[in-house]
Amino acid sequence: MKRRTFLQLGAMTAATAVLDGCRPANEKLIPYLVPPDEGVTPGKANYYASACRFCPAGCGILVRVSEGRAKKIEGNPDHPVNRGKLCARGQSILQELYHPDRVPQPLKRSGPQGSGKFTPISWEEGLAILTEQLKTLQREQATDWLALVTPQLRGTLAEVAASFMRSFGSPHHVSFDLLSPDWLKLANSRSFGNQSLPWYDLAETRYLISFGADFVESHLSPVHYGHAFGQMRQGRDTVRGHFTYVGGRMSLTAASADRWLPARPGSEGALALGMARLLLADSLYDNAAFAANGLRPETLLKALERYDLPMVAQLSGLSQDVIVEVAREFATTRPAVAMAGETVAFQTNGAESVRAIQLLNLLSGSLNRPGGVYPDGGAMAGPENSFGDLLSLVEVMRRDRIRVALIHGDPVHAIPQTTGFREALARVPFIVSFSTILDDTAMQADLVLPDHACLESWGDVVPLSSGRDKAIGLMQPVVTPVFDTRQFPDVLLATAKRLGSRMAAPFPHESYLEMLKGTMAKRLGARSGFDSETTWVDLLRRGGLFETSREQGKGYRWVAAATVPAPAEPRFAGDEKEFPLHLQVYTSPAFHDGRGAPLPWLQQLPDPMSTVVWDSWVEINPKTAAGLGIKFGDLVEVTSPPGSIRLPAVIYPGIRPDMVAIPLGQGHQGGGRYAMGRGVNPLDLVAVKIDGEQPQPAWNATRVRVTRISEKGKLVTVGHPEGSFRSELIEI
Amino acid sequence: MPESHESYSSHKSHKSKGTNVTHATDETRTASRLNDEMLSSMRPPTRRWFLLAFCLGAVVAWGMFAFSWQLTHGMYVTGKNRPVMWGFYITGFVFWVGMSHSGTLVSAILRLSQANWRRPILRAAEAMTVFSISVAGLFPIVHLGRNWIFYYMIPYPNQRGLWPNFRSALLWDMTAITTYLIGSILFLYIGMLPDLAIVRDRSHGLRGKIYAILAMGWRGSAREWVIYHKASTLMAALIIPVAVSVHSIVAWDFAVTVVPGWHSTIFPPYFVIGAILSGVAAVITLMIIIRRAFHLQEYLTPRHFDNMGKILLVISLLWSYAYFVEVQTTWYAHEPIEWEVFSFMADRYTIPLLLMLAGNSLLPIVTMCFRRLRRSIGVMLVVSLLVNVGMFIERFLIIVPSLSHKNMPFIWGTYRPSWVEISVNLAALAGFALLYTLFAKLFPIVGVTDVRELEAQKVVVPRGRARLPSLAGEE
Amino acid sequence: MTTVKVESAMQKQTSPYKWGMVIDLDRCTGCGACVVACQAENNVPICEKHEIAEGRDMHWLRIERFWVGEYPDVRVRFLPVLCQHCHDAPCEPVCPVYASYHNPDGLNGQVYNRCVGTRYCGNNCPYAVRVFNFYRHEWPKPLDNQLSPDITVRSRGVMEKCTFCIQRIRRAKEDAKGEGRMIRDGEVQPACAQTCPTDALVFGNMADPDSRVARLARSPRRFQFLEHLGTHPSVHYLKGGGREHA
Repeated sequence: MKRRTFLQLGAMTAATAVLDGCRPANEKLIPYLVPPDEGVTPGKANYYASACRFCPAGCGILVRVSEGRAKKIEGNPDHPVNRGKLCARGQSILQELYHPDRVPQPLKRSGPQGSGKFTPISWEEGLAILTEQLKTLQREQATDWLALVTPQLRGTLAEVAASFMRSFGSPHHVSFDLLSPDWLKLANSRSFGNQSLPWYDLAETRYLISFGADFVESHLSPVHYGHAFGQMRQGRDTVRGHFTYVGGRMSLTAASADRWLPARPGSEGALALGMARLLLADSLYDNAAFAANGLRPETLLKALERYDLPMVAQLSGLSQDVIVEVAREFATTRPAVAMAGETVAFQTNGAESVRAIQLLNLLSGSLNRPGGVYPDGGAMAGPENSFGDLLSLVEVMRRDRIRVALIHGDPVHAIPQTTGFREALARVPFIVSFSTILDDTAMQADLVLPDHACLESWGDVVPLSSGRDKAIGLMQPVVTPVFDTRQFPDVLLATAKRLGSRMAAPFPHESYLEMLKGTMAKRLGARSGFDSETTWVDLLRRGGLFETSREQGKGYRWVAAATVPAPAEPRFAGDEKEFPLHLQVYTSPAFHDGRGAPLPWLQQLPDPMSTVVWDSWVEINPKTAAGLGIKFGDLVEVTSPPGSIRLPAVIYPGIRPDMVAIPLGQGHQGGGRYAMGRGVNPLDLVAVKIDGEQPQPAWNATRVRVTRISEKGKLVTVGHPEGSFRSELIEI
Repeated sequence: MPESHESYSSHKSHKSKGTNVTHATDETRTASRLNDEMLSSMRPPTRRWFLLAFCLGAVVAWGMFAFSWQLTHGMYVTGKNRPVMWGFYITGFVFWVGMSHSGTLVSAILRLSQANWRRPILRAAEAMTVFSISVAGLFPIVHLGRNWIFYYMIPYPNQRGLWPNFRSALLWDMTAITTYLIGSILFLYIGMLPDLAIVRDRSHGLRGKIYAILAMGWRGSAREWVIYHKASTLMAALIIPVAVSVHSIVAWDFAVTVVPGWHSTIFPPYFVIGAILSGVAAVITLMIIIRRAFHLQEYLTPRHFDNMGKILLVISLLWSYAYFVEVQTTWYAHEPIEWEVFSFMADRYTIPLLLMLAGNSLLPIVTMCFRRLRRSIGVMLVVSLLVNVGMFIERFLIIVPSLSHKNMPFIWGTYRPSWVEISVNLAALAGFALLYTLFAKLFPIVGVTDVRELEAQKVVVPRGRARLPSLAGEE
Repeated sequence: MTTVKVESAMQKQTSPYKWGMVIDLDRCTGCGACVVACQAENNVPICEKHEIAEGRDMHWLRIERFWVGEYPDVRVRFLPVLCQHCHDAPCEPVCPVYASYHNPDGLNGQVYNRCVGTRYCGNNCPYAVRVFNFYRHEWPKPLDNQLSPDITVRSRGVMEKCTFCIQRIRRAKEDAKGEGRMIRDGEVQPACAQTCPTDALVFGNMADPDSRVARLARSPRRFQFLEHLGTHPSVHYLKGGGREHA
């Protein structure tokens, strides 16, 4: 043994010895003399390229693996989405892998539904139970009594799920995400006849105006746009990009803005149109853009007649001077780009407001221009109205027309109560969950067939809005599975095989891995000869397929038939007198829609704006709070028409006085020791039926009232509440 | 009566013959009776004594339990945090170091300045020094995160060639405290030698043997007395700079840092003055207790309290001046973060701050100006106790507010002592008292020799042609 | 013979590297990626809610958030604060046991084995970046698999703090030494700088005037944190430009 090896071994042993003294010694030491499998060399770390599937952004990752254990996740420098960078969530998926409360093997419910009491069973038994249930459906010619609920899947996994449901014969496949950019697709279809997601060239822009697009937290691709934002600010020698943010709450993204315009919620579309009108009136628009899109400034100006300055100022609650100034800045700085985001979209007039904002890009000539906005390179198929799909499924479930529900993800937590999903699901006699941890959905399940963690899985990850080039990340297992789990698509394949040859027909492959190889071969096949194994290994080594070839001619063009955006007057659930405050639910930078809550690193990560850890909170403007007699950290009750929750208050100077905001992500009934019973779920407050109309995904269109309960909010902030206002003491 | 005592008596009677200047009480009191009175504390323990010792012992045991709780669980059982990494332990440490200045002050300073009224309380004060410095020395160890390797701080030769950091004030703390502890033990022991001989002569069996060893064969010969006085005087002269240095070094713990409110050049003298203030107050308290417990009303007369009151007045004025200078310079400089610390202290710790100012400054200055109040035992007791309460608060207010609101506003914090810290501090007080109680039982708490020397004032011993003074102060 | 020894010892005290960092506050969005990266890389324990409530958060790197002004003219300033690796570090002279020491590369080292836990350094650190192990932290199985073998898991009672990911620097030095060269600019990065999405944190060798950090540190926007204390930090900040509302 070489001295250095010995030392490395020694260091490792020492480290593990400190960890726990109770494990038998031979388990701690890697048997050095026994030939190590999987290329394990003690003391030497290997890096494996993979992809992150935590959020739809799909960043490329490198995982440092030492002694067969994943140690650290870094960004993959070759991946065009994140260029070696990674967000807090992406790094934390390591804790998904090694979570102490992971479901170690299949579970069968042993107590009453929702009790969380399960008996461990074998995979054989688990699959047998599932097959039996499905066979019963087949026998009774009731194949459409099967439902599959997943997040919005892409790539091969989406194909597997779709094929499974198709060949089984059930139309009830709902892929729903609370934060899915359906609204962008809808707006793009209406304006451009093209549902491609936009890709904003932030790095090259000189003026960015974001209407509620929180690209630092969650909007489309946070790491990608974060990197671009850095470039926009200081990446060019002589230019510093200017950034204006419009939104009633100063989000983390808004905190980086040069100017914050706290517009009244729901008025953003009108504000954008008012700015458009100013541009048109002052002839500050881009002539060429009008020609290219087949529009005439005069007609447009006429159509926007009613958005005159006093009206827009009155609607948005901003001063006329500021609106004029921002409009001028936007029009006179080229390139300039306007982004539309979730806070705008999740209003009753969301889609039209988003279109109004896109119109600004057209006026400033930023469509398909460097520093402007392009259609995303990655082809984005998928539902345009997944919320509608969800509601119809709820209706079907309510009519007891679903007997078996297969659920991947945690919709019980991440879907507002008022959709009726939870009650409807309770009527389903047999629920199968594929969660890695006993989350809120798995707690309701009759059978839990635990999926692999991300770092144990195969897969292709199609990034969302990654740029003009197509990029597909490849997910590969970096460690041997920690527990007796199986990957979700493999379970579907195995079930299909058990259901008979007719069912198995669309799945000729041995396993999901084989299928994945096939898909990748198909993707490459069109271009070059595919020497299967070598290319495959090469792809794995690089972390995916990153192409630089660009489809020419593809770009946004205003559809001739498209109407002029006309955001209606925003409507809100709840009477203004009874519920005087607007509620905004927003994505916490740590938890996304709640999937990050089980991971302790994310729980411990202070929220950048409020510095709260391990909890939920409601943000209240200091003046409003004073009026209600609420102090920092008090326990308050927030009541909306559908519900009420109790949580601590944070006095938040960056929010409109007529608004309160609560981050998404906490308030889990399950989710392991770090998430369970922590904080509250603001979705319980969100009404989806507004003014008695059809339910719509307007998470920010609910009104609430806030009352003080006591001083015992048990709020923990890392930042000192008073010290946080004393920056003059450190002269920054 | 054993031999050496005879010799002492004969020595004394010899002295008496050689002079006609004697104390008024001399004639009415025989040497033996005097000894009896002085050594009354060493009579077999009564039930009340046992009860007291038991109570004190119980508190100490509780404190040790609290400490072992901390030892086994971790520092989280204290109230410390970031940014307040020091709390009640260091407060206790500085406080007890301050207390230890009593003995030095009374015995050394008064010895050198020939203040004769010091004599009855001399031994008690010296013992107080030893015990309070011992108690103080324990705090830094209790306060360590890894108490079990405290010896890393000691400069001992080791095979790893690792030495402590001689730039660190903490190391010098350790050095100074050790020096002071050794010095004050020597001081106490040397002063006690003749008394030990008396006790040896009065006890039998094992006790007698132990005292015999401790008395180091003291015979009371004139040569021994000469050496004794020289040694006492020398020790007195030597111990004063050590005492001053100890508290200066403790002050450096704070003054050499960049913590706002600590980083101040006035700290060393300010701390020494504070130490003397608490020391003087402690001596006054002690005088009252001893006077009561050993019925020494004749020896500790209102005149003595009058004198101590005057000292207290002077020191309190000095302390007030130092405090004023500290606050005033900060106010004048108006360094934002320093001023923030002071504002925070005044805001959050208003009541302790006022209590401290009342106890350390207002109350002693106002009351000690009046002769009648100085001579009132009750007033003296209240004032002296309040001074030390004030001094404890002062240490606390130096340490905690500065750390709570130091340079980084974002992570300002607060501190609340936990039950462990309070228990350990109470146990320190009880331990100090227990050591004292035991000491009083085992050793002459009132310096027999010293008191009798008082009577033998101006007595000169002829040795051949030389006329040797019998009192150290007369050299 | 003796002189040779002394000379070699003297030579050890100098190093061609002076590690430093530049933090561009104009790029920093406060997203917190660096915080998790640091925690993941350095075996920083998971602190429960009550620990943080008690002020015993163990993060080596924190993002300070300051509010300036009042609604609607309110601004937020983010300030990532990690060990500043001062050249005249207040933490070093006060440690009685040399647990806090200065290494030839200009880093403030912390020897966990030597630390007795006086917490004096923690008091004297004006940036308050030193964290103390008040608790004995545990990693419930199988979370412990994540612990990096390159770094000690600190026991209770010792101070710890940012090391600029010294384990990575060591690795890079070994690699460079093997190839007989200096570490190239950008070759070694601490976890925080590596992950920062906006490239706000840049790490490198300040002794090399052509390195990216050294060039950035010559920016007119440069300032140092609590510069008046004279600690001469290795971390330089670049002022966030123009974050003022019109």
